[in-house]
Amino acid sequence: MKPSSLVSSSFSLLPPPRSKDGTMKDLDFNRDKDLARDFLSNFADANGEPKYMKTLQDVANHKIKAIQIDLEDLFNYKDLDEEFLRRVTENTRRYIGIFADAIDELIPEPTEAFPDDDHDILMTQRSEEGTENTDGADPRQRMPPEIKRFYEVYIRASSKGRPSTIREVKATYIGQLVRISGIVTRCSDVKPLMQVAVYTCEECGFEIYQEVTARVFMPLFECPSKRCKTNNTKGNLILQLRASKFLKFQEAKIQELAEHVPKGHIPRTMTVHCRGELTRKVAPGDVVELSGIFLPIPYTGFRAMRAGLVADTYLEAMSVSHFKKKYEEYELKGDEEEQIARLAEDGDIYNKLARSLAPEIFGHEDIKKALLLLLVGAPHRKLKDGMKIRGDLHICLMGDPGVAKSQLLKHIINVAPRGVYTTGKGSSGVGLTAAVQKDPVTNEMVLEGGALVLADMGICAIDEFDKMDESDRTSIHEVMEQQTVSIAKAGITTSLNARTAVLAAANPAWGRYDLRRTPAENINLPPALLSRFDILWLILDRADMDSDLEMARHVVYVHQNKESPSLGFTPLEPSVLRFLFTYTRAYISAARKLSPSIPKELEEYIASAYSGIRQDEAKSNSPHSYTTVRTLLSILRISAALARLRFSDTVAQSDVDEALRLMQMSKFSLYSEDRQRSGLDAISDIYSILRDEAARTNKMDVSYAHALNWISRKVISDCLKWMCSVQGYSEAQLKECLEEYAALNVWQIHPNTFDIRFIDA
Amino acid sequence: MVGMPYDLLANPLGAVRLTFQKAVDSGHSGAATLDGRDWGAADLFRQFLFDDGGLSQVPILNAASVRTIPPNSLVRFRGMIQDMLGNEFYVGAYKDGGRWRTNKFTDVSQVPMDLSSDKRVWERRLLYCAPVPWLNSWTEPSSEVLLNRCASSTSPQTEKRQRDDDETIDHMDMEVLDHVFQGSPPAKKIRGGHPSPSSHSHECMAEGTCSSTSMVPDFESSSLPCLVKIYDSAEDDLKLNDIFEFIGVLTFDPEATAADKGDSDELENGFCEEESVHLPPSKVPRLHCLEHRKLGVHDFLSISPVMEPKPNQVKEIRETLLGHLTAVLGNDGLAAEFMLLHFLSKVHARVDTLAVGKLSLNLTCFNKENTSVFGNSLNLAVKNLLPITHSIPLSVDYLNTSTLAPRKDYETNRLMSGVLQLAEGSHLTIDETHIQAGTLTSVGVENTRLLKNVMELQKVEYDFKYYKMEMTTDVQLLVLSEGKSNIFPADIVLPLRPSSVGSTEMLDSEALKAWRWYLASLRSLPHTIEPQMQKVVEDDMVAARQANRTLGSQDFSRWLTMGRLMSLSFGETCLSLEHWQMVKELERLRMERLQ
Repeated sequence: MKPSSLVSSSFSLLPPPRSKDGTMKDLDFNRDKDLARDFLSNFADANGEPKYMKTLQDVANHKIKAIQIDLEDLFNYKDLDEEFLRRVTENTRRYIGIFADAIDELIPEPTEAFPDDDHDILMTQRSEEGTENTDGADPRQRMPPEIKRFYEVYIRASSKGRPSTIREVKATYIGQLVRISGIVTRCSDVKPLMQVAVYTCEECGFEIYQEVTARVFMPLFECPSKRCKTNNTKGNLILQLRASKFLKFQEAKIQELAEHVPKGHIPRTMTVHCRGELTRKVAPGDVVELSGIFLPIPYTGFRAMRAGLVADTYLEAMSVSHFKKKYEEYELKGDEEEQIARLAEDGDIYNKLARSLAPEIFGHEDIKKALLLLLVGAPHRKLKDGMKIRGDLHICLMGDPGVAKSQLLKHIINVAPRGVYTTGKGSSGVGLTAAVQKDPVTNEMVLEGGALVLADMGICAIDEFDKMDESDRTSIHEVMEQQTVSIAKAGITTSLNARTAVLAAANPAWGRYDLRRTPAENINLPPALLSRFDILWLILDRADMDSDLEMARHVVYVHQNKESPSLGFTPLEPSVLRFLFTYTRAYISAARKLSPSIPKELEEYIASAYSGIRQDEAKSNSPHSYTTVRTLLSILRISAALARLRFSDTVAQSDVDEALRLMQMSKFSLYSEDRQRSGLDAISDIYSILRDEAARTNKMDVSYAHALNWISRKVISDCLKWMCSVQGYSEAQLKECLEEYAALNVWQIHPNTFDIRFIDA
Repeated sequence: MVGMPYDLLANPLGAVRLTFQKAVDSGHSGAATLDGRDWGAADLFRQFLFDDGGLSQVPILNAASVRTIPPNSLVRFRGMIQDMLGNEFYVGAYKDGGRWRTNKFTDVSQVPMDLSSDKRVWERRLLYCAPVPWLNSWTEPSSEVLLNRCASSTSPQTEKRQRDDDETIDHMDMEVLDHVFQGSPPAKKIRGGHPSPSSHSHECMAEGTCSSTSMVPDFESSSLPCLVKIYDSAEDDLKLNDIFEFIGVLTFDPEATAADKGDSDELENGFCEEESVHLPPSKVPRLHCLEHRKLGVHDFLSISPVMEPKPNQVKEIRETLLGHLTAVLGNDGLAAEFMLLHFLSKVHARVDTLAVGKLSLNLTCFNKENTSVFGNSLNLAVKNLLPITHSIPLSVDYLNTSTLAPRKDYETNRLMSGVLQLAEGSHLTIDETHIQAGTLTSVGVENTRLLKNVMELQKVEYDFKYYKMEMTTDVQLLVLSEGKSNIFPADIVLPLRPSSVGSTEMLDSEALKAWRWYLASLRSLPHTIEPQMQKVVEDDMVAARQANRTLGSQDFSRWLTMGRLMSLSFGETCLSLEHWQMVKELERLRMERLQ
């Protein structure tokens, strides 16, 4: 005989019911059933519709099987009983039964015809026999309500707040409803699990029911019916598999997500039981958020005797939701939304976010700004004739070895919700695009996506771009402009989506940038490819005393203090960098949803700026860049991304100016000597900016905030200034300038707000 | 506390229960207030172990002593946390009649429990601990004492003869264990990455269902893993790969297999991964931890803290050690200096991705002929000086076949150890001289990348299949190669210029002891740079960069590390101009050699 367990002990580890004395217990549950019924029949959702009654009607019509009760609804219910809510969360398993009982009473008649299935026929038969069959109080002969139910009840935890990690679920949570996030590592096959065993007696012919609540149960052998007992026949029971009720059952393992594991620890795992409609919802590798009841499984049989002290635990799944990886599908949580709102009010988000990118990389602020815009992206546009214009920004960082290009790339991939990092040489046979391969098992041809395809709707960072295979480099042309990968190999002709922003890093032609040669020689990428990059950023490692000292200081500081020098500003949430990532992620996702448009009056401005650049290039004998129509699109894209960052749905002139500035700064390190020659000192430069701006807007009063904005953005209204490089100035310099010129009686400064008023000459 | 009512060594549980009774009686609400906290039992043991000097009386648990120590007695176990198995819920306290009883620090309850009685569910954490990998044999504390104890008890052979039908399983177990004992191969077998297959197949057969051999990583010493159960301690105390000494109650049950197995077959539709299946209580003892303390490298020295040499002797020791290293390296004084700094290096801070303080060394100009001479004597010297050392003879085959990174096995829910799962302060020698031209498979490429990451970032990626997790390590890396190793970019590349054949001098054990102490204790000294010195350093750096544009922050960082190590090697905590000059001189000489 098999060792088997006592069914009744299956939840012996649950905390005892919280009623004060045992006699009140049943009464309590009856009252709670009424509460549940009240709630189900009276709850109205935001539109005033009776949400649950509608669901019940669908269930009655056999359209759906699962009834999801949202705790949030219970919380929002007008006659909220907080005690009841607490009881439901802390003793969920019990309350599922109570809700099911309530639903039994509420379920309406079907309003639509549906074909009878086996179950219904069986039930009709039973109810016909039912009257003669009830011969007494023996519970084994009363039909358990479970067998009549053709629906499943789930109670879903409130989606407010952060889900717990597996690590946080402790002994005190046993029996409670919890919400956790994790990655699925294993899944068993879906198997039938007996919920109600039905026997027939050979002697008396009665149907005997046995409810099964555990994984193992002790089958009945003797008929417990009155007739058999009085006749003392010991009727033999035969298990009726067809009449018994089975549930689909699947066991899964989830593991903590990497970001939830504290340093120096191993991710924890948890067993999850999925029943009924929740089976086949997950596959290994899925990142999911589950709500469920945390329950113990007592050991059975021999093990119970030996190790009766220990209980395995599992989570009985109540709802399963998959994490969304794309920006567009990222749902903002309540507190994240708040933080974003605060950021948006703050005004200076652009700088703040940019500085928070890779804070450990010293300097490179403008590059970080460009990378931030790459993360944000512009909206895709689809023209009337079906042509698509990409919104993703492509950036190529080109520079001397050891200027932290790769670190920047890796950091960006870290921050991006979806990112793939690869090197031009390093990728396998699949390469960057896609390859047709023979499946070793089935011998079928399968299409395997490369890095660019995998990064669809995300960012693909390609290091060592210059060392890329020629074949990949040609196919990347298509990816960068059309955003698809076309395959015509081994009888497979198809086109895969690759809507990805390409972030490339490359070394100059001879390893280091050689100033004696022309830029074109140094850059060494075909113009066709080059023109596809919105920004080509040159990072030169230039010899000058100051930067060397800066570097030496930095290294000494790191060794002395065992931390990076303070950044001179407080980055967004500096304490928890990890939080920051999700933070920027959330923020950027919000920004991606906006799709700003360009107002009419700006069109002229952009056009003139563009033509200015073209003319300058024509004049110059050694052009540093290839300015094409694509450049114009780039300006538009960058401006749109900037507008998005401001949470604005129209592009402003300042956005265009900043876009132009960034494009120009990208070549900055080439001209740093020109700047020194250009002679203007910072103070007078700031003055000229302010004066020009004030003149342009025809205003005599300039607020301090505007002034700060202008000098940091450095407006390039005059396109001829294109070649003469300019740089944003600091606030300290602005103040110095304000004081100096106030002393000259050029303007007046408001003592508190520092607003500027020009004195008309 | 005068006159213990219980013998804490032989019956620790008695003391635990006594204190529990006291705590419950003094409280009002029964056992509920004791949820997740200690009631004075730990204090009692702490006092006994550390204040009253009871620690030395506690027997050490290892493969030899596990059969002779009676269960439920107090033991200590030294090991590295190799895996974390999550937490376990158990009935911590229950009502037996009118009395509360506790199950803390034990696996089996004292009296059978009534299922319906009042009870409190508590939790404890399971840590899978293995002996420290690659621990050198000289570190083992007073092994003679243990041997004596073993001899007095029944030897396994006599037990083997009592062949009852009931005991067949037990007998097989014994055989397996014997096999592990005798067949635990002295280094060579393992090194190639092919753990002896014979012992494996044997054990697999004995085990039947799931092979548990693969669970127990093959380490050099006769390895006895231990499942440590931790009670009420903060999670951050115990980290993966830390070396700890656990003192607690031993439960070890060689007969448990039969019963448990019968039962586990019963539930085969579940995932077969409970630790009782893979880590049967008959093979892996359980230790219910009462007290734990972290061990550092210096805890493995047999020298006691009282005997520490005085500071003025440090210089002397330095000289003799340098002399020894010079001799080993064929009279190459410069290499010996670098070697000394390398031995003292330690990651003392992590700034962003940078591991500050590491100093990996690549000795070049080894060829087939002199490797056999210098390579071996060097290996021996390293082994003698440092407690945890391992050498990898690199070959294409090794890279393609070995598992370097630990990997999570979801079938068994265990972390499979890899070569690179090393305790803090380990020394790893990579011998590149044997490598031949060949093709790396994807495994080989991955392994190379892992080694490179360890070298550059002091990080190992653990493979969790669905994601990888970076774990920090602190490993001293020495690369021996013919030319500059391009696979593994070390901090310092130095061509070896031996002028004589390495001597095989006899080692004085006193000197050896002093050297070990020197290397183990000086590396954790604090270090500062005074502001005026800082100015000198900065100016030197700027000047150097003006002269040579190829210098970068990495080089500066290396100089500072060397400066630090140089001061430490003299037992000083502050960088002096003299030592800084020495560092610059060393670097100059090195650059000369490289040209």
